[in-house]
Amino acid sequence: MQFEKAVRTLCDAGVDFVVIGGLSAVFHGSAQVTYDLDICYSRAPANLRQLAAALAPFHPRPRGFSAGLPFVWDEVTLRNSTVFTLQTDIGEIDLLAEVAGLGAFEDVKRNSIIVEAFDRRIATLDLPGLIRAKRAAGREKDLSALAELESILEAENE
Amino acid sequence: MAMLGAITGEQLARAERRLLHPAAGSRIEAAGNYGVDLTLLVEQLRLTPGERARKLEAASTVLERVRGIARRRS
Repeated sequence: MQFEKAVRTLCDAGVDFVVIGGLSAVFHGSAQVTYDLDICYSRAPANLRQLAAALAPFHPRPRGFSAGLPFVWDEVTLRNSTVFTLQTDIGEIDLLAEVAGLGAFEDVKRNSIIVEAFDRRIATLDLPGLIRAKRAAGREKDLSALAELESILEAENE
Repeated sequence: MAMLGAITGEQLARAERRLLHPAAGSRIEAAGNYGVDLTLLVEQLRLTPGERARKLEAASTVLERVRGIARRRS
């Protein structure tokens, strides 16, 4: 996964997004390796246009979609769903309009902080928000991440 | 919006102490018992968030190459 290229592309296109998931966990100190970029994005019409245009050069398609099936990547497609699990030329990117445990984009943004990485300033979930999201997701892989994140929170607390 | 930066020397020293010598009944102790390698967390906390992201990109690239080789051989 080319995290740097993906994140820089989204930032430079002016996309309003928050990094969630594994990369956010790593920003906070998780030692787990992740293979995809998860973001929560604003569904404002202008943002959907910018997001569609930013990722278009990397030929996004839904993961597991048959090669022969047609798929149109544009703002209309983005408007018609709230979750996309994409395979792109720069790796796997998941787009979520809302996050379990937190809510819609505006709620996610309220639970985020700015991090400097890949020579950009990026919004990412704060540690308590990320823990709430992982707890709500409740998948097997999240349990291990949750144990790490709760340890970091406890270790860093005053 | 607040910034996530590198933690100070004092904060790091406190975090290291807690992670390497967890208090009884703490979440850190529970994580260690669950199988979390707490020494890896110490190493991560010594880096800035940006350095952690670069390290992830490097590790992810290597592991994806290995996964690709394994897929082609199977």
